[in-house]
Parts: sequence; structure tokens; C-alpha cells
Amino acid sequence: MKKLMKTIWHNVLLAILAFIWLVPIVWLVVTSFSAYTGINTSTFFPEEWSLNNYKNLLFAADTVAQFPNWFKNTFIIAIFSCIISASFVLMVAYATSCMRFKGRKALMNLAVIVNLFPGVLSMIAVYFILKMLNLTNSHVGLIIVYSAGAGLGYLIAKGFFDTIPNSLREAAYLDGASEATIFFKVVIPMSRPIIVYTVISSFLAPWMDFVMAKLMLNSGISSEWTVAIGLFNMLDKSLINTYFTQFCAGGVLVSIPISVLFIIMQKFYVEGITGGAVKG
Amino acid sequence: MSTVKEGLKTFFGAIGSFFREFGEAVAKGDLFVKLSLIWMGAGYIRRKQFIKGILMTLLEVAVILYSVGFAMDYVTKFGTLGTVQQEAIFNLATMQNEFNDYDHSFMILLFSVITFVIWATFLFIYMRSIVNCYKLQKKAEAGEHINTFAEDLVEYKNQKFYITLLSLPVLGVVLFTIVPLIILIFVAFTNYDQQHMPPSSLFTWVGFDNFKSLFASGGLTITFGYAFRRVLVWTLVWAFFATITTYFGGILLSLLINNKKTKFPKMWRTLFVITIAVPQFVSLLLVRNFFANNGIFNTFCASIGLTDWLRDIGMISTSYIPFLSAPGWAHVMIILINIWIGVPYQMLIATGVLMNIPTDQLESARIDGATPRQVFVHITMPYVLFITGPALITDFVKNINNFNVIFLLSENVYTTTDQLMANSQASEVDLLVTWLYRLTQNYYNYKMASVIGIMVFIICAVFTLVTFTKFTKGDREEAFR
Repeated sequence: MKKLMKTIWHNVLLAILAFIWLVPIVWLVVTSFSAYTGINTSTFFPEEWSLNNYKNLLFAADTVAQFPNWFKNTFIIAIFSCIISASFVLMVAYATSCMRFKGRKALMNLAVIVNLFPGVLSMIAVYFILKMLNLTNSHVGLIIVYSAGAGLGYLIAKGFFDTIPNSLREAAYLDGASEATIFFKVVIPMSRPIIVYTVISSFLAPWMDFVMAKLMLNSGISSEWTVAIGLFNMLDKSLINTYFTQFCAGGVLVSIPISVLFIIMQKFYVEGITGGAVKG
Repeated sequence: MSTVKEGLKTFFGAIGSFFREFGEAVAKGDLFVKLSLIWMGAGYIRRKQFIKGILMTLLEVAVILYSVGFAMDYVTKFGTLGTVQQEAIFNLATMQNEFNDYDHSFMILLFSVITFVIWATFLFIYMRSIVNCYKLQKKAEAGEHINTFAEDLVEYKNQKFYITLLSLPVLGVVLFTIVPLIILIFVAFTNYDQQHMPPSSLFTWVGFDNFKSLFASGGLTITFGYAFRRVLVWTLVWAFFATITTYFGGILLSLLINNKKTKFPKMWRTLFVITIAVPQFVSLLLVRNFFANNGIFNTFCASIGLTDWLRDIGMISTSYIPFLSAPGWAHVMIILINIWIGVPYQMLIATGVLMNIPTDQLESARIDGATPRQVFVHITMPYVLFITGPALITDFVKNINNFNVIFLLSENVYTTTDQLMANSQASEVDLLVTWLYRLTQNYYNYKMASVIGIMVFIICAVFTLVTFTKFTKGDREEAFR
């Protein structure tokens, strides 16, 4: 009986926490269905429900709201920078964790030092470099910005690779495998959780960022924007009362692909790497 | 600090041995190794490594052409950052205003730095190639096998696989992180601001003047010293609380969810994950409207009488609760909102780590009769801390640089009433980085922004040096293998 009470208390605690965490999200969803276009400050739920926000956002693009274009732009940018950044992170993590070479420690220390500089600081110079290459106001430029420095974020993946037993790789050496084969055939397949983590975080970066995008895509042509700049622009003081609910609808639509992807990947994440290998 | 000293020792030791090898190669090398000093391919071609020889020759030609044909225009002006001011001259032939052949200070700085990096890289490759030529000579003299080009390539899949893995990521970091940083560090020693904006005017070196004005105190016009101290204190307080709360919150939440007593752990995890599936600029801008002065949460507080009660006890003097618009309130709210946004992330990381605890360790502990509490204290927690420990430091540094949360919650919402802060374009809830951003984007004060950036770096470096060495001790790396 005491055990049952404990279990109930445990789950109630989780429910309370989840409730607190979800209040703003629920507000986002219900506001996106509001018929009133500005911010509703008197009631939590809208007084009148409607689908207009979604309809306008998806099918009636105007000069302010170009959601389908923004979504497409961000998606393309995110896919490319995700592929590049995730590979960079895993490559650096493997090289620093599993291989021993001259200058390894020096390289890692250098990475630590570079990481200590605020990213906002280098932004201005990055902008001028890309301008020199004629890549500002282009999606290629943004992909470069998001993925070029990705290798610096290798520490978490390295921490994971550090836990892979040496014996596994040594066994592969004895079987005559090359270092490249070990990387692709032994280490990568058993590192699903960290790959998932890396892929998720690098895919999310372009969806989350707006500072860099705002700096890079400054031509004012709204069809070239990413979702972040577009939605941010809707909350401009002169626009907020006409576009706040559309902003919420956009927020919901953006979150859907990310959540779906996330839940698919979470399966791998939870599975862990218990099967097969020496580990576990 | 001994590890730092040791690190420096090995660092300079490596540089020393690099130059010693080079000296030995030059002194003891045969004619072709010496010829390589002028014609880089010579030594390789002598040993029948023709492809390598040609590649090296091409590289040398390319660097020389670049230096003479392009870089010299800029590097020679690096000392002054340009002397010819832009002037519009009326051209009688075309009947139009035309610009003279003016100097662009920023371009001079930019191309000079890029050229310095190219030269340094080239010098390294140059010295390495001579050492390699000498090694080839020794091999040939001993009658050993000399690799063909194909065999050399295969090495990049094996012993040298790390070069294959690292070259692209490192190139990316150098071009888009290190070069920009060097440029901005240089800017801190110039007078690049709104009065000195290229191309219409020049900027030049001013030494440590900007650093002096950051630490200067007193006066009503130059208040950078005052603002800097205020912003610095809040940055450190924020980074400490933001890191500690989300880190332990995340571990506790993941332990709570992964507990055997939890029904439907997957569902709970998904619910929390939804919070972070919403991009921060959506969720934070939303929350900012949620807690706005005339927002819905204020309506709620007023209707349950909380607002009146707070006014009665003197906590507020307004008709609303200034959640994000008054000092104190805003500081606490920002940290609380950050918990909301940060804990699910940490929960995911901790979950991933918890899933991967070597079960044989847990098993043997259980067989030895350890209680669940003992297993937790002696195996689970040390393991989690070992894996996520380095992340704790990087999190602290990240929070010092946490632009998004502060910017999205305070921009256009929080206005400072402190005239001394306002004079330096700072506010009480600003972090050093958001202040830096505002200085560059709205006030074009690049020189002070760069100085603040360097200060941020120094602060982060001090914290990292003190703690980081503890986590990267060589032996710890192998601890769980």
C-alpha cells in the first residue's frame, strides 16, 4: 500500500511539472486558433475560435507574411547545415577521442580557447568575409555560417566516444580493419544516441537562430527570409496587433516538423546502445 | 596550475623540436633537400615522388602569385590602415563625380589578416616538406622502400586518418571563426566607431585607449567604466544560476522520469521535449507577452488579488507587476524562464548518459549487496558527472554568452532608468554580449564592442583554466574504458 502511494505521488509530481512546462505551449496553440488578431490579455482561451490564421498564413501570403517561402528556405538551410555540422562534430570527436597523434592536446586546448570568445563578436567580421565572397543575402552563405564552426562543438560527442571500450577497436585492428573502416563500421553504428543528439542539435540551430540570419539576409525581401526572421518581424510594434495570432500559428507549424522528427529519433535515443557489443 | 605549466612546456617543446628538425634537415640534407628551400618540389622529384613534387611546386607558385599580385597592396598599408581619405572629384571627361583611389581601412585590415594566416600556413607546410624530403633522403640511403603516391593516399585511411577527419572542420573554424576573431581583436586597438566609418573616412591604431576608457570611472559623459562593472556582475550572477539550475534540474528530471515507479516514461519525456521543439524565438517572445505589463498573467494576478497584496506590502508601486520591466523582478524572472527553457535539454543529455551506464558495473554492485542508494551515489552519479562534467564548464561559458534568452526577453521591453547606464547604451539586464551586440548594431561602436568581447574572453578563460584542467587530465579520459 505504501509502495502504491509512493508511485502515485511520484507520477502526480511529474504531472504537476509537466503542467507548468506546458502552460505557455498550450497558450500558443489556443491563441493560434483565435479569431481576434491581436494579443488577448483578458482570458487564457480565445473568446471566438477560428481557423483564419492558418488559412491566411498558408494560402494568403502578403508582403509581411510569406510563411510557405520561409518554411522552404529554412528547411533547405537546415538540411544542409545539419548534414555538414553533424559530420564535422562526429569527425572531430572520433579523431580526438579514439586516435592518438602529435598535437592532439594542443588542438583540443586551442578549441577550448576559441570557444571562449563570444560568437556575437566575430559575427561582424564574418559578415564582411562573406560579403567579400558575395555570399550575403544568399542561403549558401547562411549554411556556411551555421556549419563552418561546428567542429568546435565536439566535446559532448567526444565524452561519449571516450566510453567506448578500446578492446572493441583493437579486435577490429586484429581482423585487419583500417581506421576508416573502424570509424564507419564499428564506432558509428554503436553510437546512435550521440549521433541522434548531434543531428537534432545541428538541425535545430537554423530554426532557432535569428541573429545571424537577420544580419545575413538584410535585403528586406521577405520571400528570402527564414522562418525566424519572418516571425520575429511580425512582432514589430506596428504589426503585432494584426499579426500576433498568425505569429502563434506560424510557431505551431514550425514546431510540428521538429517535434515529429524528434519523436522518431527519440526511439533510437531511448534504445541506447545496449545490443550486441561488449558494452552493456 | 601545474598542468598549465606542463602544457606550456610541451607546447614550446613541440615548437622547439619542430625547428630543430628543420635545422637538421637543412644542414645535413643533400643537394636536392637544399634545392627544396627554393623550389619546393625538388626533394620529392629526386625520390621519384613526381605527383607530390608537382603539387608542392604548384602550391609555391600560387602563394607567390597571390602575395605579389594581390596581398602586397594591402599588407604594406597595415601599419597605418590607410592614409588616403575618400574624396569625390568631379571628372570633366565623364561629367560625373568620381571617387579618388582611396584606402578602405577595414578591407586593409581584413586582407592583411587573411594574408598573415595564409603565410603562416604556407611557412608550416614549407618547413614540413623540407623535413620530409630529408626523411626521404635518409630512407633512400638506407635502401628502404619509398611510398608511391597511391600508398601515401592509403595512409590517410589508416595512421593518418585523423588528418582526413580533421582537415575540413579545422579549415571551417579557421576561416569563419579564427580569422574573424583576429580581425576583431585588432579592432579593439583602433578608433573604428561611428565617426570613423569606412569607406567615407579612415580609422587608425590608437593603442590601449579603448581599454583605458572601459576602466575609467567618474564623469557623466564617459560612463563605460560604471556600466561595465554593473553588467559584469549581472553576467556572472546570471551565468552561475542559469548553469546550476538547469544542470541539476535536468539530471533530477531525467532520474525522475527514468525511475521504475514512473508510468509511461516515454510520454512524460515527450511532453517535456515539446517545450524545446518550439524554437526559442517563438517560445521566448510568447512568454515575454505572457508576462507583459498588460499581459495575461498580470490579468490573472490582479484577479486573484496578488497585485493588490504586493502593492500593500510595498513590493511594487505600479498597477501591474513589472515582471520583465523593472530591475530585480526582471532578473529573477529571466532566470526562472531560463529554467523552463533549459531543463528539458539537460534532461535529454542526462537521459542519454543514464541509458549508457555499463550494466555490468551496476550488476556486480548489486551482487555485492549494494543498496540502490549506494549504487546511485557511487556508480550512477560519478558516471553522469564524468560524462557531463566538461559540459558543465562549457555550459557556464555558453551562459555568459547566452544571447538568445536575454535578448529575446528584454529587447524593447526593458528600458533602463539609470542615466549612467543609458549613456553607455547599456541596461541592468544586459549581458556583456547583448550590450556588445547593441553597440555594434545600433551605435556602430565597434571599438568598444571589441574591447568588451576581449573582456568576455578573459573572464571565460579564467573560469575555464581553473576548472577545465581537472576534467581533461589524461588519465580520466581512459577511466571508463
